[in-house]
Amino acid sequence: MVTSSQPWSDYALGSEGTVRRATVPRQAIAREANIASHSTVRSGLRENLQRLWRYGFVLSRARDAADDLVQQTCVRALERADQFVEGTRLDRWLLTILHSIWLNEVRSRRVRLGQGLVPAEDILVHDGQHEMEMRLAAADVMNRVNALPEAQRAAVFLAYVEGMSYREVAEVLDIPIGTVMSRLAAARAKLAADTDGGE
Amino acid sequence: MTDRSSLPSDEDLTAFLDGELPAEDMTRIADLAEKSQDVADRIAFLSRADLPFADAFAPLLEAAPIDRLEAMLDAVPEVRGKAAATGYSRRQVFTALAASIVAGIAIDRSIIVAGRMGAKEQGGEWRAAVAQYMALYTSDTLAGTSPSRDVQLAQLATVNSHLGLALTPEDVALSGKEFRRAQILAYDKQPLAQLTYLDPATGPMALCITLSDGGVRDISDERRSAMNIAFWSGPQHAIMLIGHADPTEIHVLAQSVKDRITV
Repeated sequence: MVTSSQPWSDYALGSEGTVRRATVPRQAIAREANIASHSTVRSGLRENLQRLWRYGFVLSRARDAADDLVQQTCVRALERADQFVEGTRLDRWLLTILHSIWLNEVRSRRVRLGQGLVPAEDILVHDGQHEMEMRLAAADVMNRVNALPEAQRAAVFLAYVEGMSYREVAEVLDIPIGTVMSRLAAARAKLAADTDGGE
Repeated sequence: MTDRSSLPSDEDLTAFLDGELPAEDMTRIADLAEKSQDVADRIAFLSRADLPFADAFAPLLEAAPIDRLEAMLDAVPEVRGKAAATGYSRRQVFTALAASIVAGIAIDRSIIVAGRMGAKEQGGEWRAAVAQYMALYTSDTLAGTSPSRDVQLAQLATVNSHLGLALTPEDVALSGKEFRRAQILAYDKQPLAQLTYLDPATGPMALCITLSDGGVRDISDERRSAMNIAFWSGPQHAIMLIGHADPTEIHVLAQSVKDRITV
């Protein structure tokens, strides 16, 4: 336990050599609890690495970006471990962090780079002849979801793959529930129309 | 919610299909579907999108490079221990840095603040932190080309002004390595110059300089975070060259820089 609660701030050097003030949050409380939440978050990360990567891939449609997103999510989640509320869903919290990193930091760069669509067949690397049919069916569904606009794609993935409630989807995407509904409705209409055309 | 007299919106019907409406609305739409062919048709249409999503995306879990991801997680330093003493640990700082590197965000836009350090830590500790930090760089981090001489001069001017140096692009050129950027970070509340290079053969390399009053020392070699380091110090500065090249090459490169610059 830290006895001094002396507030302090430090300078940081900006790119132009300007000196900025950075407020450092006081962390003098509940050190033991923080340590507990760090280990909770770390083990939660370990358990959810594949799911995080999958969501990163669904958002970015690129393996390397998914790798980056997971790495940054690990860093950010551990940094903010004391913000995780025990008793709430850790996986949702991690997906929320990943989404926010995607939105605020990675997406603009990827868009600038002009990343294209990656066909699902290139990602699904299963062996075995007997899996062929299932693989193609899975690839078809994935490709159709992948073809949706990003906002719809994320909502469909979270609601229908991750099985989240509308409220949970709204929290991860940081949008109103009404927006979740309209994205899912638009996605359904598009997917349904494609299904119609394909039969 | 939907006007009772009109066809429910796709939003309402979607929420109906997803079981996300309040019970009374669920019942109401079910009743409407009984009575109205239009409503029934629209529900049937939208339900065509009830695809086996979970199964379809399951293989993507297997496609995740789990070994690499676990290694990444393991590489994120613990944020505890010494952090208690200062509120914000250097590790947290470097962890935050790692995030900005990976994001490709200009590090010089990040606020980089280090916690207080005990005097005894001011020896190898900064090199450990730099090593931990540089270990997060990949060749991709340093993709691109060397900036023009003008840009290099401008970057070095910033470095020089913070550290009281007079470095030129020629002073800090490393034979066979591509200069990428010179910038000022901060470490232990002191400016830390980081000059990055890409070694086409072995990947990221960096020359780092910080203020030091630890006395003049000739070049020593060490290995940290699976990288090789050659370090020395002048009356007011400590310098380190770090990279994945073999120790001999790092030492020789460091010697050539030491011979050119006055610190």
